[in-house]
Amino acid sequence: MLGTTVPAAAQTTLRLRGSDTLGAKLLPQMAEAFKKQAGRVSFDIAAEGSSTAFTNLLTDSAEIGMSSRKVKPDESAEFRLKGRDLREFEIAWDVIVIIVNKDNPVSDLKKKEVLQIFSGDIRDWSEVGGNPGLISIYTRNTSSGTYKDFMDLAMKKREYGTNSQKMAGNEQIAAEVGANPHGIGYLGLAYAHAKGTKIVTIEGAIPSTADVKKYPYARPTFLYTNGEPTGTTRQFIDFCYSPVGEAIVTKVGFVPKSRAK
Amino acid sequence: MKDPVPTSRQPLGSLLLKSQRRSVLGLEKQRAIRLFFAGNSSVAIVVLVLIMLFLLREGMDFLPTYRHELEIYRRAGLEFCDILDRPLAEHQQLCSKLRRAASASSNTITQTARSRRDAAYEQMREVEEDTRLQRLALTDALAQVPPVAPDELARLRQELHEATLATTTALPQPAALSPAEAQELKQELVLLSPEVPDLPPLLKALSADYIRVDMEAHTAFKPLVDAVEAFEAAPDKLHALIDEMKNHARETKAHVTEIQNTEGGRPHLEKVDFARNITPLTTRIPELNAKVAEYALLAEKAAAALPAKAGTPQGTEFLVEMRAQLPLHLARVHEAAAGLAAWNFQKPVTYLDVIIAFFFGDAWITNSSWQDFFGFVPLLAGSVLIALIAVLIATPVSVVAAIYTNQFASAREQEFIKPVIEFIQAIPSVVLGFIGISLLGDAIKGVSEWSWLQWVPGFPIQERLNMFNAACLLALMAVPTMYSLAEDSLNNVPRAYIDASDALGATKLQTVFCVIVPAARSGIAAAVLLGLGRVIGETMVVLLVAGNRIAIPDFSVGPGVIFQPAHTLTGIIAQELGEVSRGSAHWQALFMVGIVLFVISLLVNWCARAFVRSFELFKS
Repeated sequence: MLGTTVPAAAQTTLRLRGSDTLGAKLLPQMAEAFKKQAGRVSFDIAAEGSSTAFTNLLTDSAEIGMSSRKVKPDESAEFRLKGRDLREFEIAWDVIVIIVNKDNPVSDLKKKEVLQIFSGDIRDWSEVGGNPGLISIYTRNTSSGTYKDFMDLAMKKREYGTNSQKMAGNEQIAAEVGANPHGIGYLGLAYAHAKGTKIVTIEGAIPSTADVKKYPYARPTFLYTNGEPTGTTRQFIDFCYSPVGEAIVTKVGFVPKSRAK
Repeated sequence: MKDPVPTSRQPLGSLLLKSQRRSVLGLEKQRAIRLFFAGNSSVAIVVLVLIMLFLLREGMDFLPTYRHELEIYRRAGLEFCDILDRPLAEHQQLCSKLRRAASASSNTITQTARSRRDAAYEQMREVEEDTRLQRLALTDALAQVPPVAPDELARLRQELHEATLATTTALPQPAALSPAEAQELKQELVLLSPEVPDLPPLLKALSADYIRVDMEAHTAFKPLVDAVEAFEAAPDKLHALIDEMKNHARETKAHVTEIQNTEGGRPHLEKVDFARNITPLTTRIPELNAKVAEYALLAEKAAAALPAKAGTPQGTEFLVEMRAQLPLHLARVHEAAAGLAAWNFQKPVTYLDVIIAFFFGDAWITNSSWQDFFGFVPLLAGSVLIALIAVLIATPVSVVAAIYTNQFASAREQEFIKPVIEFIQAIPSVVLGFIGISLLGDAIKGVSEWSWLQWVPGFPIQERLNMFNAACLLALMAVPTMYSLAEDSLNNVPRAYIDASDALGATKLQTVFCVIVPAARSGIAAAVLLGLGRVIGETMVVLLVAGNRIAIPDFSVGPGVIFQPAHTLTGIIAQELGEVSRGSAHWQALFMVGIVLFVISLLVNWCARAFVRSFELFKS
């Protein structure tokens, strides 16, 4: 849904397809910085969910696939079937942050409580020490990598409760939680600190770039290519790992791979 | 045909229709023109047929694909696990009631201490949030190897201190704390720094205070709290067993999926040895039954240990509700357990089962790690309810406006009102969606919080994005269609009727309401139906504004149901079609939804035409 198209003024065009988490902020900024350095290259970025990374790579309509989850077994099987060699590059760690409304007294949740809230077992804020009132749950929609990742990271693969509402993107979740005193939702760290919301700590662990691996809901994000990358694609991926690239990763709110401890 | 009279400028028709000897493709020119026009009009029909064929082709495959998926679901034993898992899910709803009762009770004791602690914490968080950047810089500098120069550290500390001081001074006085305490807290918050791991002393004291009071509450409501815990833990063993079985079933399913992917198509299920995989599940039926009996015993014991009353009337109400529902729940679990033995993994999944699963299924679950279900009822319920509310709002508005412009308005008013209403049609629906998100949602929510409106069912509302919000915008979109059609039908009332009414000495109002409106009623009904058709097919507004909650609206709350969020037939297609892989069950399910939408629209239009036809008969 979010996308940036850079006009094709130069010779090479890199087409990036996939995750909204990566494609909304991080890679467009990375692309801008790379263009300043490398010159004759243009980018075409469309971010409509991690699944589209693999469908586009398969049909050769993308040079680089962006994914906020590891490739699924059935997806990689499809690549094998077509004789493709899928390469994976872990570029950054993303942190899923739980947010509630600013006026909600709840500021820390246990992992089990998070699971129970999002799967619909806990229905009322008073069950977790808040003011009485039914919980409104805002989740991403099914195409989002975050939707699936959150199920794996926080919900032991259980389904979301039927009282959950599927929002189009991070910004919309932040807006709804900010407007609803009984709302709860999740976002990428880059989108946290939105107006009217506050971050919930998980069993005391604060989601921050400093100690990613102590926080339970952190995950690596990936770039994928068809075969060993060459030429501009190679240069771009190397650039992501360079000090300049890592600085951008940090600025956008992700954690560079080298700093994820 | 005679040649036309030569004039300085020949009319176009005569130029085209003038008979000439020359022929096109062996056809005489007139005939060619005729065919050209006929061809153009038949394009529409051909396109319609093509669309229908395309929808049917993609959608009809859904039945075999979904049947295949349901067959795997059954053969791999996932269905077997769900037999008990489904009714067991109700246990959590009962737990939720108990937890609420317990929390309401202990709140009577802990309320003050809790709000004091929360207020202090909130202030600390606010300070930390505002000085986030400075704190981060200092933490980074401290962690650096080799260490940062001391004067650089001192500078960072000074910056942090200044920022903290600025925020702290600006903090408001929290209602829960006394002015002296607030002052003390401010002084302590100024010293906040990532280098000091300890909490400020006042916060510690308030936390300790809360913990003490909380313990007090625990002792005061010990029977309740203990019973709640016992009830929560009652099905633990049963859950553990089911989880184990679920993992086994999931493995079997993964195995089948793998074969499917390597073979590149739908495998014949005969190739997989399901019988061997299912035995580890079915042999555990006695164990399951034993665990179910144990669960029932524990749950009843816990329920019996519940005190008669909670700390508040509302808490007591929860306890009463829970006690009433527990026997029903246990009966359902027992019934499910009894059905385990009768379950047979080889029982074929018929097409009827698939049709029932689609048209009467109450769950639409996609991208699941367990099993995707395509049950269409929640979406239909959302679509229909939103459309009905929208028509209910739009009908009086458009019909009354039509009566006014047609019968009462002066010519100048008519010239103004008609184009303005018809102009609404020109607003792109995505723009209306934005209005719904950013303006109307907040407005409705704001109004619902007015104290003198609390008698309205459903007020105050919780969700900005809900069915009513979407319906208001859809009503706006339907008004132009309905208005124009209603106005036309009023216009078509024969002059003689009105003259007759006037001749009998009826007043203007009597003529309008006793003669004109009844004479035009089938036209008005057709207008309403076409409005309904317009509304039910609308996508962008409902996708953005309806709240996208895939669940059958909870009608038990009464008319307030209209303020709940819902998902719709059109919304689900827009939201999910972009992501699914072509040819998958999910893709085809969305096409099925498309077919149903198409059929609904056809029916609505057909009804509207039937009404119009009866109107024409009536006129002649």
